[in-house]
Amino acid sequence: MARIELKSLEHRYASSRKGKSSFAIEDLNIIWEDGTANALLGPSGCGKTTILNIISGLIKPTGGEVLFDGVEVNNRATRNRHIAQVFQFPVVYDTMSVMDNLAFPLRNRGHDEKEVQSRTGEIMELLDLNKLADMKAERLNPAEKQIVSLGRGIVRKDTVAVLLDEPLTVIDPVLKLDLRRKLRLVQRELKLTMIYVTHDQHEALTFADHVTIMKDGAVVQSDTPEGLFLKPSTPFVGYFIGSPGMNMIPCENNSAGLEVTGSPLFIPKSIGGKTDNLEGSIELGIRPEFVETSIKELPDWNRFEIRSLDHAGAYQILTLESGSIRIKSRVEDHFVSKEGDPVWVNFPTDKTNLYANGKLVTP
Amino acid sequence: MLRDLYLELEAGSFVTLLGPTGSGKTTLLRILAGIEKPDQGRIYYDGIDVTALPVQERNIAFVYQQFVNYPSMTLFENIASPLRVAKEKHSETEIKRKVEETAELLRLADILQHLPEEVSGGQRQRCAIARALVKDARFIFLDEPLANLDYKLREELRTELKQIFKDRDGVVIYATPEPIDALTMATHVGFLHEGEILQYGEVRDVYRNPSNAAVGSYFCHPQMNLFPCDVESRENAGCLLQVSQELKFEVGLDREKLPNDRYLLGVRPHHLFLSDPQSRMVPFQATVELAEVVGSNTELHLRHGGIRMSLLMQQVEQFPVGKEVTSFIDPDHLYIFDIESGAFVTRTNSSSISSSSSSR
Repeated sequence: MARIELKSLEHRYASSRKGKSSFAIEDLNIIWEDGTANALLGPSGCGKTTILNIISGLIKPTGGEVLFDGVEVNNRATRNRHIAQVFQFPVVYDTMSVMDNLAFPLRNRGHDEKEVQSRTGEIMELLDLNKLADMKAERLNPAEKQIVSLGRGIVRKDTVAVLLDEPLTVIDPVLKLDLRRKLRLVQRELKLTMIYVTHDQHEALTFADHVTIMKDGAVVQSDTPEGLFLKPSTPFVGYFIGSPGMNMIPCENNSAGLEVTGSPLFIPKSIGGKTDNLEGSIELGIRPEFVETSIKELPDWNRFEIRSLDHAGAYQILTLESGSIRIKSRVEDHFVSKEGDPVWVNFPTDKTNLYANGKLVTP
Repeated sequence: MLRDLYLELEAGSFVTLLGPTGSGKTTLLRILAGIEKPDQGRIYYDGIDVTALPVQERNIAFVYQQFVNYPSMTLFENIASPLRVAKEKHSETEIKRKVEETAELLRLADILQHLPEEVSGGQRQRCAIARALVKDARFIFLDEPLANLDYKLREELRTELKQIFKDRDGVVIYATPEPIDALTMATHVGFLHEGEILQYGEVRDVYRNPSNAAVGSYFCHPQMNLFPCDVESRENAGCLLQVSQELKFEVGLDREKLPNDRYLLGVRPHHLFLSDPQSRMVPFQATVELAEVVGSNTELHLRHGGIRMSLLMQQVEQFPVGKEVTSFIDPDHLYIFDIESGAFVTRTNSSSISSSSSSR
């Protein structure tokens, strides 16, 4: 396995409009360390698939470098890159047994049969495929086929990385759990460099230790799932990760400190303190989980009115309003209140993020 | 497919038909709307037998899972179309007013002149819903209308739909396999299982008092954990519920209420914890099989001996596969079901379920 790096990568597609070309990706810098579980997450059209095709060599980038363990591979042919790919639809040889499917890449490269047997045995053990070893692949369900696709991808020891493109899309929901678990297990046991491409937050954050969020051909944030949740680098990440997304409260910076735009809401000085030399558009970002909510009046807490309550079983999501400011707050299941009731709300300093011109301000 | 169904839906209610794939939701919805005919039985709208009434003569609207719009018409014309084909004629001014009102409600007002292909999936589905709403049908049927949308749009539309369908005089019937849809939006829920309604009632009531293990397990987000336990009498009157050597609960339940030796124990994933600061819960060792990050929560899939269960953490946190953890179960929130029939028997500490108001 290898460390994969994209350096100042760009790719433009010729546009139908004359003389113009449009960037699919622009000035992209990403490092995937050797042996790590990674995800590339973003809405459709953000450039994810272009990146996969550049790594595997199906597309030659119009600028920048692709490096495997520090070596530039821009001109290396796909077949010499040793990248394994798992696609949405499982790719297996239907008429071959599971065992022969797994052995195929090794036999194809002329490995001796003893080695083929021992390596496929290892992979079958790890993926729990022993029971199915002699079964024809056409008889497998889609989840089992997908596991065989994965096994074929990782059976060769010279595989540089495993790229997965929405691999669970066609898998029955009840079988997804097992496949998710196997992906994690295999990654950890074999210390594979894996890059999982998806538009689905659930898949990305469940699979990866490191998630790169993309939008419009650029990286918005690269972080651990916890990091994305606690310190989103932009309001978009705050919205995109977590359910419901982060509350954004527009503020103004004036001589008295930070004030909520068009509202008498009180902001603790500890939050306002960081803002001395900030200019431009300023927002406070706080997740519904971290908004403290009380049905009793408390000093320096802000009064809001409940607009709606959504029960989710384990907890409730309140929609709260104060003047033009609307926020959501998560409260316990047994929090008793109704629409129209007043509640008092506090934004704890350590859980409140500050954004200036759409970027997280780090203290 | 459907057997011996009796349902009475009140005017002003938002009813979800909840059940797994193949449970008969769509069939029931289509029969209620008049798209399909039942083999037996009668359907009444406001006391009038409509079983033989063709669908176009019923005062209904139907929203499908696929975003059905006329591709060559603007969103305005799409929304206006039910009014143009209606029996009672509407003036152009009236059509314009109604379309604009409905578009406002569904946040489509700014894009009414666009074609369906020029707007997002969420907007296309909102347009389909607007078409259902514009003619003011008394009965609105929705068949998994959010299924083809990504989770951010589902989350937003769920909150919107609840507001949109609030304070209507008619009946909204919404088929879905997602318990969260029923929990957040509906006033009533009917749980379908293999063509039968296992339970029907107000959402909060069905959630708190499932009549059956199948309802309790499914109508919970994530699903309720179920595992068998042995019951022993205790000298001091209570009972001991034993799941494994390590996992056992001393409960103050009367043995007379639990005459059998074995029951099915139900525990909601949010009543499992990784810490117990007040030392009042029952600890056990478990192995993490997978940590799933769902929205702002993490669902830990645990294995304790041969028992699999899930634990809901209300935060985003990662756990390596295979990690050993000490977990705790809150003994005050156990459901007990009959191990054969699945019927609800009792639960622990039921008096405190509707606890008094609190703040944090």
